[in-house]
This record gives sequence, C-alpha cells and structure tokens, in this order.
Amino acid sequence: MRTALAGYLIFIIVLLGGWELAARLAVADPDLLPPPSAVGATLWQFLHDRRFLSDLALTANEVLVAFVIAAPLAISTGFLLGERLHLAETFNPLVHFILAVPQSIFLPVFILAFGIGFLEKVVFGITHAYFVILINSFAAVRSIPRPLVAAARVFGATRTQIYTRIYLPAMLPLVLTGLRLGMIFCIIGVLLAEMYASRRGVGQLIFDWGEGQQVPELIAGIVLISVLTIAVNEAMRLPELRLARFHTAAGAR
Amino acid sequence: MPIIEVSGLAKEFGIGRAPLCALADVSFAVDKGCFITLVGPSGCGKSTLLQILAGLIPPTRGEARIDGERVCGPMPAKVGMVFQDPTLLPWKTALANIEFPLDLRGDERAARRKRCAALLELVGLTEFAEHYPHELSGGMRQRVAIARGLAQDPPLILMDEPFAALDEQTRTRMGHDLLEIWAKTGKTVFFITHSLSEAIYLSDAVLVMSARPGRIIEAIAIDFPRPRELDIIGSAAFGAIRNRIWHLIAEAR
Repeated sequence: MRTALAGYLIFIIVLLGGWELAARLAVADPDLLPPPSAVGATLWQFLHDRRFLSDLALTANEVLVAFVIAAPLAISTGFLLGERLHLAETFNPLVHFILAVPQSIFLPVFILAFGIGFLEKVVFGITHAYFVILINSFAAVRSIPRPLVAAARVFGATRTQIYTRIYLPAMLPLVLTGLRLGMIFCIIGVLLAEMYASRRGVGQLIFDWGEGQQVPELIAGIVLISVLTIAVNEAMRLPELRLARFHTAAGAR
Repeated sequence: MPIIEVSGLAKEFGIGRAPLCALADVSFAVDKGCFITLVGPSGCGKSTLLQILAGLIPPTRGEARIDGERVCGPMPAKVGMVFQDPTLLPWKTALANIEFPLDLRGDERAARRKRCAALLELVGLTEFAEHYPHELSGGMRQRVAIARGLAQDPPLILMDEPFAALDEQTRTRMGHDLLEIWAKTGKTVFFITHSLSEAIYLSDAVLVMSARPGRIIEAIAIDFPRPRELDIIGSAAFGAIRNRIWHLIAEAR
C-alpha cells in the first residue's frame, strides 16, 4: 500500500514536471498546452470565483437529484425482474438493447420533450444511471445462492427474515457496484446535456472555454472534474472492497 | 415411539407433458435416537425425500409425520438439517453462523452466545469462532454446519450427503466424530450418502432405495457394537453387508 502510494506520487511529480518542462521549452505548443503552473493558478481562481462555484453546485445538484431518483427505481426494477423470471425473459433483452444504443443520440429528443434546463439535465442523468443500476441489481438477486435460502427456511426464517437476513447482505456487493457505475453514468449524462445545450453548469463552461480557445481555463476545468469524479468513484468503492473479502474463494458455498 | 413416520409418500414433478415420478409409495418409520442411513442409486429421489421431510417441498400423495405432527412446512423446533454444501452465510463468522437459527427465533444474545460456544466446542472449533467461512477448510465448514443444525436443539437431524465434497481422510474422520456427537447429544440422525461403507459404519439401520421412481426395497439392521472403531470396515461381516446392499442396488436398477 505504501509503495503503491509512493509510486503514485512519483508518477504525478514526473508527469507534472515533464509537462511543465515541455511547455516552458516550447516542445509542445504553449497555446494548446499551458504549463501546469498556469493551470494551477487558474484552478485557484476558480475556487474563489462565485460564478464558477455556483455553476459547479448546479451541476452537482443535477447529478444528485438524478441519482437519488434513479437509484431506488432501478434497484426495485432489478429486484422485481430477478424475482420474477418470466418478466425478466421479456424485459431483459429490452434492457440490453437500450444499453447497446448510445443514449447521446436521444439528447435532441429530450430537449424537445423537456426543454433546456434543470429538468432535462436531470431526466437525461436518470436514464443514464437507471439501466446500469438495474442490470447490476438483477444480477445481485440472481447471485443469491438458492441453498442459502433453503437453509434459512429450514431454520424457520420468515419471508421478511429471508429478505433482510439473506437477500440484503448477499445482494449488497453487486448493488453497490451498480450504484457506483450508475453514478459515473449519471455524471456523464448530465455533463453531456450541459455541453450540448445549456445556459449554466460546468459542462457548458467547459464547452464555451473550448469554443473560445481559453485553454488554461479549459484544462483547469477538465482537471477539476477529473479529480472530483475520481474522488466520488473511490469513495463509493471503499464499501465494495470491504465486502469483497466475504465473496472471495468458496465463502458462499 | 417413531420420530419419523412416512406412509404412502409419492412425489411427481410436473416437467413438460410427462410428469417425472421421483418417489413412488415410500413408507418407513424411524425410532427416536437411532442413526438411520438412506442409500440408493443416484437420481433415485433420496434428496427429494429429505426435502419433503424438511418441509421444503410438499409431497404429491401420502404423508410424512415428525414427532407425531404432519409435515406441511419447515419445523425448526423439531428438525435440524445439514446440507451437501455447508450453506454458511459468508458474511457471518463461524460462531454467528451457528447462532443464526437462534437469532431467527429471537433468542437473547447472551443466551444464544453461550449455547453456540458450547456447540462450537462440541464440533472442536472453539479457536475458530471468529473466522469467516472462506477462512475455514471444507471439513471445518461442514462442522460449523453440523453445529448450526444442532443450535435449536431439535430431536431430529437430517443430513443430505454432508461429507460428499470432502476428501477420503477428512470424510472418515468426520464420520467418526459425527458418531461421537450423536452419542453425546442423543439426537435421531437421518443420513443420506452414496458411500456404502460410510452408511454401514455409521448406522443402526440402512434403508435401501430403488432407482427412480424411488421406493424403499429393504431395511438392513447393522448390529456392530458401539462405540465403533474404524477397524470394522475391514472385517468380513462388514464386507458381507456391503455386498448385500450392493447387489440390492444393482438389481433394483
């Protein structure tokens, strides 16, 4: 763990150092690749810029609202399909068809239906998160070893106890994975919608900086969003890693 | 007084147009405190019979009574069970797994802890109380499963090929230890196995089942004095019984 951490640090230092050198020695076009010191300074300004922070808050808000709506809907649909296999026979292919199609092509339709604004961003975030959480919840139900349920029944478990004592803990790791992936998809959906057509939000800012060739701002925005999304992803991965140890080897057998 | 009374029991599974007849007219009784083993060719319906006794599936015809009461669902106070797979909950420690049936029943924590620690000692795993199933060997897991089967102190323990997945040495040892546990607790054990030696070594009587549709074709009393040593497996009398059962099964095909 320590050596890995040291490795990351060295990697980052080398990356930033190389980047700074390349920019200063004009190996790379300074208009396309400003030095990290310049990007860092821009980042610092962002953190004190009211306008920027309010755009960031708006985007985060859209993502959260979409996620909070999508997650329970998707988990319950996945659970229902997992428990009622005759429904799954009909709906699972449909879910996979939908997942195969890039949702971005529907964005103009969403705009026609919901206009440009908060609602459209949220709905686009929901549809991005929904299906990936759904298939993971479905898989979670199907992954419950049936003999565990039979054993619990023999020992007198009621239906409620089977759900709370067997289903819930057995499903948790896959459901958490689904939620994490769903969060990433949700962010993708919201940013995409903002970049495509929006008056506010980080996605719109990034798009405008690109259009206006404001490269330090553009790179600083990209770095900030990357760092934030990595942090969200890692935070959501922690409980998964903690649970994973129970599901290694023949633990479930 | 018999603890298991089975009369005219039949089970058909409705698969497609031709129903599969797993059990046809099975009748027998088992006296309290006995160690009875059921043998028969694979697919003859042994496990089906055990699942009916456990109240997991209903019979098509006939009835099973346990301790005088007709089986129409799981009876945790009367029947404990050990499955072919240990079916331990991977997210619970060995001790917590043994406590699980008492937990379902709503027993107080201190009381169940005390009882289950004693059971853990009975199966020789006191030092492994806080280990998770994936940290235990196959034999240890099955010992935990045996202790769990005893947790609610039922008079009858059903065992469905509990040692089938273990290597020969571990299996022999487990059989030997099971006899000790049986002698100490005074339970009735109804045991299923493929191994004729295991059946004869362990049992007061061996019930021989025909190929599907399963019927009991013979009940053979085993009169070797107890406690038994492993040496008897090599004796001529043991061999004669094994041959007899072997021919019964071969002819029943």
